[in-house]
Amino acid sequence: MIAHQLTLIRREAWEHPAIWVTPMVTAVVVALLTLTGQVSVSAFGEAIDLAIVGAQNVDEGHRKAVLTGVLLVVTSVFAVGAWIVMVFYSLDALYAERKDKSILFWRSLPITDAETVLSKLLTALIVVPLVTLVVTFATHLVVMLLTSIWIKVQGGSAMHLLWAPAPLADVWASCLVFALAMPLWLAPLVGWFLFVSAFTKRSPFLTGFLPLIVLPLLEKMLVGTNLFAEAIFARSVQPPLFDFGELEDLEAQVQSMGAAGNISLFEQIDLLRFLASPSLWAGLVVCGLFAAAAIYVRRYRDESY
Amino acid sequence: MTSLVTARHVSKRFGSVRAVDDVSFEIEKGKIVGLIGPNGAGKTTLLKAVLGLTDCEGELSVLGLDPFRQRKELMQNICFIADVAVLPRWIRVNQLLDFVGRTHPNFSRARADKLLAETKVRPRAKVRELSKGMVTQLHLAIIMSIDAKLLVLDEPTLGLDIIFRKEFYANLLNDYFDEERTILVTTHQVEEIERLLTDVMFINDGRILLDATMDSLSERYVQLLASGEKAAAARKLGPIAENELFGKSVLLFEGRGRDELTPFGELHTPSVADLFVAKVKGARA
Repeated sequence: MIAHQLTLIRREAWEHPAIWVTPMVTAVVVALLTLTGQVSVSAFGEAIDLAIVGAQNVDEGHRKAVLTGVLLVVTSVFAVGAWIVMVFYSLDALYAERKDKSILFWRSLPITDAETVLSKLLTALIVVPLVTLVVTFATHLVVMLLTSIWIKVQGGSAMHLLWAPAPLADVWASCLVFALAMPLWLAPLVGWFLFVSAFTKRSPFLTGFLPLIVLPLLEKMLVGTNLFAEAIFARSVQPPLFDFGELEDLEAQVQSMGAAGNISLFEQIDLLRFLASPSLWAGLVVCGLFAAAAIYVRRYRDESY
Repeated sequence: MTSLVTARHVSKRFGSVRAVDDVSFEIEKGKIVGLIGPNGAGKTTLLKAVLGLTDCEGELSVLGLDPFRQRKELMQNICFIADVAVLPRWIRVNQLLDFVGRTHPNFSRARADKLLAETKVRPRAKVRELSKGMVTQLHLAIIMSIDAKLLVLDEPTLGLDIIFRKEFYANLLNDYFDEERTILVTTHQVEEIERLLTDVMFINDGRILLDATMDSLSERYVQLLASGEKAAAARKLGPIAENELFGKSVLLFEGRGRDELTPFGELHTPSVADLFVAKVKGARA
């Protein structure tokens, strides 16, 4: 059963190289941007000297806060990339095999439809985030390495400015929790997209997104309420994972903690609150229902070949 | 139990159209059965029911299983090639063999490698880079490396040139088939497989017109080549079909003894194709 799943998931990685190519390309872009940034600010010779002196003189709490912010910005680029890959992957996962008729071959093997759909769900919710996470960590190191060289060239101490205060363990632990938890929070949307890819005759992208736009509009016009829109909005940006409310407040929170001199991203994560949130479990149930519907469609719809 | 497939009163409706209409038959172990019918006769629907890809009315048992409800178990002992190229185009040959090896308990990788070594299919190639003939060779190599009890082929050589077609059936017969295996095959090119078959079934408009062993055909059906008065006399014996060839009449008889017909002219055993045309026309008349 587990061996089957691993084989099926490996097939997904073969078929969808975007799962690892996207974070790799993001990494290269981030590294190039870091380099260009460093080269272009190097023109301001004196100002940089002053900045480095200034940085050397502020207390470590501040340096930590700034570094946490920088690592977070890098991470968020990858997180957005992973979300895009998840959406496109799940919209394609059960559609491509029908379009190229390979579904007939896959179904000629002794694998159940439930096993296949489960492997696609696991790929979207676990494999995509974890692959992205590993590349993100590597990119953190690359950016820091490039910055060390630059600081060295400018005559500063990379150890003092960068490596000693860098809160890598704290940031990485937070990223790991985030990469495991956020997909669970987004699971109902992924389940919906998977169902669309199993169900739709054409254009899974449109079929997947139109209802997300049209239904809230209809609700507003017919009933006058915004429940649907709020649910979708909350799903996208408000995971009950942090002490403070919304994801967008994260930067501000980090800044204020930095001012206080004791920064820890990890302490901001409230895993218990997340796991106790009824919305999380309701979302997982919705995801399960959509996955079951996708299995049903793949199993019972007779698409003439 | 030697009956691999048992169908009793099997029907499949699409709306008001009966694609398969109250069909009953049995397929025994060790047979090569040809399912012959024109386009839209219900061949593919019937095969899909046998493969558990579609539900149907009536009683259908394949290897003692309900094909629609016990698909996973069924697929361990059944292989099939559909009439369209279904191998995923993005996959590499060795990835494909790897995947089948890990998911199919009855697959022999060594055998597949050996079979492919005799072709031009390279292990590192992607399926999309292979020619149509090579894709079929690859699919056939996979299927022949699976120790299955029943092999279902739906127009397996469609769109292939004559050399590949001949090779396909030669490989199948020489390297795969034995008394433990059973093959159910549909094709338009009846002449090509006629000599491989042990049994033949004709299907038209969802109904089975003929279900017989090849051996019994030559006993049951005789083709008479006659001209003039002899033809007219023979016509009184009630041929099931008649046509003209080089000014002579070709009469097809069912259930008439050869001794009875010898005086009228030259006797032949009709080809499956001739018989098929006669049966289908007869059913329409």
